[in-house]
Amino acid sequence: MLVILVLLYSPEGIEALCSAVGVDHTDVRMLMLAWKMNAEKQGYFTQDEWHIGLKALRVDTIGKLKKRLSNLKEEVMKPENFENFYLYAFRYCLTEEKQKSIDIESICILLDLVLGSQFRPQVDTFTEYLKIQNEYKVINMDQWTNFFRFCKEISFPDLENYDTTEAWSLVLDNYVEWMKEKAKLAAA
Amino acid sequence: IPSPSLLPSQTQWLTCFFPIYFLAKPTLPTNFEENTWATLKSAISSIFLKQPDPCDLEKLYQAVNDLCLHKMGGSLYRRIEKECEAHISAALKSLVGQSEDLVVFLSLVEKCWQDFCDQMLMIRGIALYLDRTYVKQAPNVRSLWDMGLQLFRKHLSLASEVEYKTVFGLLQMIESERFGEAVDRTLLNHLLKMFTALGIYLESFEKPFLERTSEFYAAEGVKYMQQSDVPDYLKHVEMRLHEEHDRCLLYLDVSTRRPLVATAEKQLLERHISAILEKGFMLLMDGNRMEDLQRMYYLFSRVNALESLRQAISSYIRKTGQDIVMDEEKDKDMVSCLLDFKASLDTIWEVSFSKNEAFCNTIKDAFEHLINLRQNRPAELIAKFLDEKLRAGNKGTSEEELEGTLDKVLVLFRFIQGKDVFEAFYKKDLAKRLLLGKSASIDAEKSMISKLKTECGSQFTNKLEGMFKDIELSKEINESFKQSSQARTKLPSGIEMSVHVLTTGYWPTYPPMDVRLPHELNVYQDIFKEFYLSKYSGRRLMWQNSLGHCVLKAEFPKGRKELAVSLFQTVVLMLFNDAQNLSFQDIKDATSIEDKELRRTLQSLACGKVRVLQKHPKGREVGDDDSFAFNDGFTAPLYRIKVNAIQMKETVEENTSTTERVFQDRQYQVDAAIVRIMKTRKVLSHTLLITELFQQLKFPIKPADLKKRIESLIDREYLERDKNNPQIYNYLA
Repeated sequence: MLVILVLLYSPEGIEALCSAVGVDHTDVRMLMLAWKMNAEKQGYFTQDEWHIGLKALRVDTIGKLKKRLSNLKEEVMKPENFENFYLYAFRYCLTEEKQKSIDIESICILLDLVLGSQFRPQVDTFTEYLKIQNEYKVINMDQWTNFFRFCKEISFPDLENYDTTEAWSLVLDNYVEWMKEKAKLAAA
Repeated sequence: IPSPSLLPSQTQWLTCFFPIYFLAKPTLPTNFEENTWATLKSAISSIFLKQPDPCDLEKLYQAVNDLCLHKMGGSLYRRIEKECEAHISAALKSLVGQSEDLVVFLSLVEKCWQDFCDQMLMIRGIALYLDRTYVKQAPNVRSLWDMGLQLFRKHLSLASEVEYKTVFGLLQMIESERFGEAVDRTLLNHLLKMFTALGIYLESFEKPFLERTSEFYAAEGVKYMQQSDVPDYLKHVEMRLHEEHDRCLLYLDVSTRRPLVATAEKQLLERHISAILEKGFMLLMDGNRMEDLQRMYYLFSRVNALESLRQAISSYIRKTGQDIVMDEEKDKDMVSCLLDFKASLDTIWEVSFSKNEAFCNTIKDAFEHLINLRQNRPAELIAKFLDEKLRAGNKGTSEEELEGTLDKVLVLFRFIQGKDVFEAFYKKDLAKRLLLGKSASIDAEKSMISKLKTECGSQFTNKLEGMFKDIELSKEINESFKQSSQARTKLPSGIEMSVHVLTTGYWPTYPPMDVRLPHELNVYQDIFKEFYLSKYSGRRLMWQNSLGHCVLKAEFPKGRKELAVSLFQTVVLMLFNDAQNLSFQDIKDATSIEDKELRRTLQSLACGKVRVLQKHPKGREVGDDDSFAFNDGFTAPLYRIKVNAIQMKETVEENTSTTERVFQDRQYQVDAAIVRIMKTRKVLSHTLLITELFQQLKFPIKPADLKKRIESLIDREYLERDKNNPQIYNYLA
């Protein structure tokens, strides 16, 4: 425990923590842990975050933490928590000073991580689209929020209630157009 | 009877007795009525039978008179009626089974009718007194004439075969006439008058006649539509309508004209409107067939089909225009094609469509639509078209012609939605014309500016007018520079220079282009700068060398020449004052002109029509290892030679940068508009914001572009999406 604590305040520490609790550092549970601890910076936990976080989780040993991690998912998935978690995930990935957007490659991984289990087909097609288009190199918070709203509100895959004249982000307009084009080709 | 005064008093009356004499009432001979009637009857009978009657008319008239006086009018009337009926009935019955030949039969009917009329007139003449007394006084009794008509009508309908055959014959005759045969129109006229007189025209004749007409033209319309082309068909219809109209003047009753023409119009036109338009409208428009189009307009207006015609015009213009506008290969001629197209439409509108106002608007709308089918390019081409017209060297165009062309182009300009694109290109070209002295006429230039001003307001032309001001001001500055002490004492000799001082903002922006100027020119520029800044302190002068042009004196072994060249060309050529042969790299190092520009410049000097330099190896393109030599074999028929055409030519970079600047400008305008709206509204839904933007922005823009700008403003934190309703934006102060 002590060894881990010493190393915790660096990325190496996080890695050590991961192997100790038997979770890959790219696992969504690590992100959830960060959310629970309200960690500000990716790859780091501050001492305060660690202490307050562990208290909130009511764990004091690696064994307990390991157990707690598995039911943390349930907590996050509760509707009242999930949106907060979703927005947190974006902010957590902003590593640079004044950074407002995240590159496409990271966004695709992040989407897969946080929305993959709930909205698999949406995430798959959207990330596919993001990878082939070349208009957008980054995604900002507004577009990130928009996509979550899209997943919740738009019937999929028929996209019947999608209306481009509404305030959807342009990237979603383009994505929907691409989807429809694809469906038309498939039908033909 | 004694007069009353002779009568004794009442009392005396009782006591005295005077015998009183009564005059006997004249008595009629016992057989008076019968005998008189017998005379009359025999006379009537003779009239009907067309036999001479011994009794003269005066006596007969007197006889009627007598009978009426003795209150025997009633029975006389009835007797005459009965007598006439017998004869009329016989006359009509005699027609039954008559001639198979319809025309012969109709003549018999006509004869019968004519006789009847004559006979009835004669009888009425005899019995005039009866008509005037008894008929007038007794209620519900017809005049003798009317009685006769009524009898004729009755027996005509009883002899139904006669009526039927007559009507059939009439219809047959009219149809023959429609097929082009000559018929006896007088016969038709008389018989139809008979129908009218009998009061059975409408029921017995007109109804079947209209039905027959309808069938006839229905068949003819279908057949002719298949057989003939549209212009011929329309001519035929016009002729038919004319014929039917004449028919009414010649023998039909006036009242038939309306329904008859309407029937013909319906069958020949109304039913075929869309087919006519589909089959022939484009043909007529393409062929500029004014007369046929006029006919079409006239005929369609008769059946209220102008709306269909209007729509056809609209789609015709759109389609034809699309071919002109969308074909990129025809860009070169787009504007002149559009001008010709518009002119021909205007003529057609004037001549063929009798200046119909709705059509005028349709033409305008359709034109606006088609010219904006393609974004930006038409606006650019219109500007370039004007440049060509306003540029020097348009020989053979008079001021008036030029003025007329400008006016016409302005009409096209009016339809353009992206006027900013036009402005940018117009400005770029105008700048070149002014700076390189290539304008055909300053009057024409100014006239064009004032036209644009009337069209779009002074905001649109402010900068353009500023350019003219700069040019005029520059002339004055040059004058005073020449007379200044700096110029007189310090200027290098052998050079004359004139400078245009341009106000930034009025003129297009030019990318700064480096060039190492020959010493003399540098000195000159410095002295001018010193002079200018002494006059106008606090200003910054930047030399735009790419726009400079010069006249060089050149000594070729085969003769002296003056070369009109650009400043860059000058710089290159002056290197050859000290060298016979220079490599590309040498020239590049010596002039430090930007690579692409230098290649263009060298190309114009060594590969164009006028080759004052020789390139080694030969070829159109300038390669890195090429070398250049002074062309000592240069000859040219003229003394003064222009080599600076490249300056007037638009480069690809220039074109893209002009367009890009317009788009950049639009982005700023959209951003400004969004912020302006949100600043006043504070909170606004997406839909309302988009609507307001479309109202405010004066150039064509897609909703997606607006979204992009909104998102950019969200990103830059001018706006935010409402936390609770993503359809609503909040302004962030």
